[in-house]
Amino acid sequence: MEEKGKGLARAIEIYKDRPRRAKELKAEGKQIIGYFCLYPVLEMMTALDLVPYRILGDMGEPITKADACLPTIVCPFIRSALDLGLKGKYDFLDGLAMCHSCEVGEKSAHIWRTYLNPTYFHFIDTPHTVHKAAQGQFKEQLKDFKKTLEKFTGKELSVAKLKEAIKAHNEQRALVRELYDLRKLDPPLISGTETIQVMVASVSIPVKEGSDLLRQVIRDVKERKNGPQKKRARLLIWGSIIDNVALIEMIESAGANVAMDDICVGSRAYFADVKLTKDPLDGLAYRYLVDIKCPRTFREATYGETQKDYLADLEGRFGYLKDYAREWNVNGVILQSLRYCDIHGYEVPGLRDYLNHVGLPNTYIEWNYSEAALAPLRTRVEAFLEVNG
Amino acid sequence: MEGFAIFFAGVDIGSTMTKVVILDKDRGIRARVIGPTGAEHRRLANRVMEEALKKAALSFDEISYVVATGYGRINVPFADRQITELSCHAKGVASFFPNVRTALDIGGQDAKGLKIRNGELVDFVMNDKCAAGTGRFLEVLADTLGLRVEELGSISAKSKNRVRISNTCTVFVQVEVVTRLSEGVPLEDIVAGVHDAIASRAVNMLRRLKIEPDVVFTGGVAKNIGVVKAVKEHLGYDVLVPEEPLLSGAIGAALIGQELTLKAMAKGESLPRKERRLEEASFFS
Repeated sequence: MEEKGKGLARAIEIYKDRPRRAKELKAEGKQIIGYFCLYPVLEMMTALDLVPYRILGDMGEPITKADACLPTIVCPFIRSALDLGLKGKYDFLDGLAMCHSCEVGEKSAHIWRTYLNPTYFHFIDTPHTVHKAAQGQFKEQLKDFKKTLEKFTGKELSVAKLKEAIKAHNEQRALVRELYDLRKLDPPLISGTETIQVMVASVSIPVKEGSDLLRQVIRDVKERKNGPQKKRARLLIWGSIIDNVALIEMIESAGANVAMDDICVGSRAYFADVKLTKDPLDGLAYRYLVDIKCPRTFREATYGETQKDYLADLEGRFGYLKDYAREWNVNGVILQSLRYCDIHGYEVPGLRDYLNHVGLPNTYIEWNYSEAALAPLRTRVEAFLEVNG
Repeated sequence: MEGFAIFFAGVDIGSTMTKVVILDKDRGIRARVIGPTGAEHRRLANRVMEEALKKAALSFDEISYVVATGYGRINVPFADRQITELSCHAKGVASFFPNVRTALDIGGQDAKGLKIRNGELVDFVMNDKCAAGTGRFLEVLADTLGLRVEELGSISAKSKNRVRISNTCTVFVQVEVVTRLSEGVPLEDIVAGVHDAIASRAVNMLRRLKIEPDVVFTGGVAKNIGVVKAVKEHLGYDVLVPEEPLLSGAIGAALIGQELTLKAMAKGESLPRKERRLEEASFFS
């Protein structure tokens, strides 16, 4: 077992037992709010001294209870998360902040409320587009979120506190970007597998602790001598949520370095800062709705435009990936989606056309949120690496 | 080195059948072994290799390079290299038909589409999640109809009015087929319908690659003339089937072994190889 630095070791510790720190904080009198997806505004919770805790699934836990409340065509991640909730694994949460992530996320939020009956529950109806009107709508949603948070905590969510929280979260985002910069090197100083462990750890602890962890991890990976090995293939992984190392571990062991990602546990949550606006809710609404690059948010339609040139449309939707590929020196892209993830599944044909157009080799795998089912996917990854030499 | 780079072995451990081929330097088949994989394939690889060597009248030391492929490729401890069946099939198919640009392989439990340019694999698509587009589908249906898989082709040739199967799931197709039988639909029309169903699935999968001729069809299912006919109809192209549709993976593997060896020799480099020893694969090897 190789020696990991203090930061990486701590990240792995948290990754393996996520609720532990949250439960410790709860015992000290803190309140923990579980949230789904990226739209429940973290700063608003942090400002009121609540600890936001991202709700994730558990690939190792067989789904038994969730099947009774969900239809077949529900992605295994949402299914797993609900299953854990129904089994009481999230009972340490003091409340839930859900959002309209995708159709399934939205519908299952109501199931969480009904079956788990939390003390505090808020649903943010996140718009699916980025027009000015949608931004305005989202700001109204955040005003509602502010009201229920204030009622729950009995405290005022002042502009001053909110600005402080925005600074703290922006600081963490900058640290993540600093860590990601170290993946631009060849070989990357931190592997794709380790990155997932660190990212999952950061969404399980308060923002300042997360920032401290990231600083330590950055020190560790710069100092260590036994980092990732150089490999011909430097891949970007795009798609559905990845909250477990198994998939990326499989890809890296097949002979590649996953040097960059476009997933919500990774870059999507950290690559844009919140602009400090006079009314902080404006900056928050913009950053959360417009700057988070998840395909659940549609960017195709522009007012007044009734026709769209296909390539121009693809460039508008996916152009940022070309920049990522260039900056992180990526020579292949793995598109992945969870079974039944429409949000990402529907993007695949267009995205593949775009990547082929810009000359980036790519392949698509659909996976089942199960370690056992990874073996056939390994063949696809190996064949992709063989094809692209 | 005298006597080196003359014989190459390809071991293709598929989910249903294991194929071993020994090629000579002129790509002639010196020996071939085809047998069921079964549950014991971890120990099978060396037995099958022994059989092939006996047929070839060669000692293991005379084999310059061994490439293992197929889903069981990690269980061939004596293989010098493991390469996916996608690359190996492409190589094998191109050796039979140099102008191939699209290949369809339907095996016992999976189906693959390959896009090939100048004899090399450039893109691929796979179905290994659903039995309905694989050999397993035909086995199940043959069993339901009280027939042997080998008879299906000739029986369907007699069909005048092929049945249209509406279900997509193997299990539900069984039910549908039994219903048709009880309605008095002729057996050959039902079998032709079954062939049409599997062909339709296969071609739909292949369409994701943008099909271009020459199109080659391999795998055990390619031995069924009824399925071949149905695939041609769905594709709108003629379809080439090699004489030995099961061997393209193993042959491709051996050919890649030859390529790697010759490349290394040209550079004056040595190629890392495993010890020439045939032993049962243990779980910790």
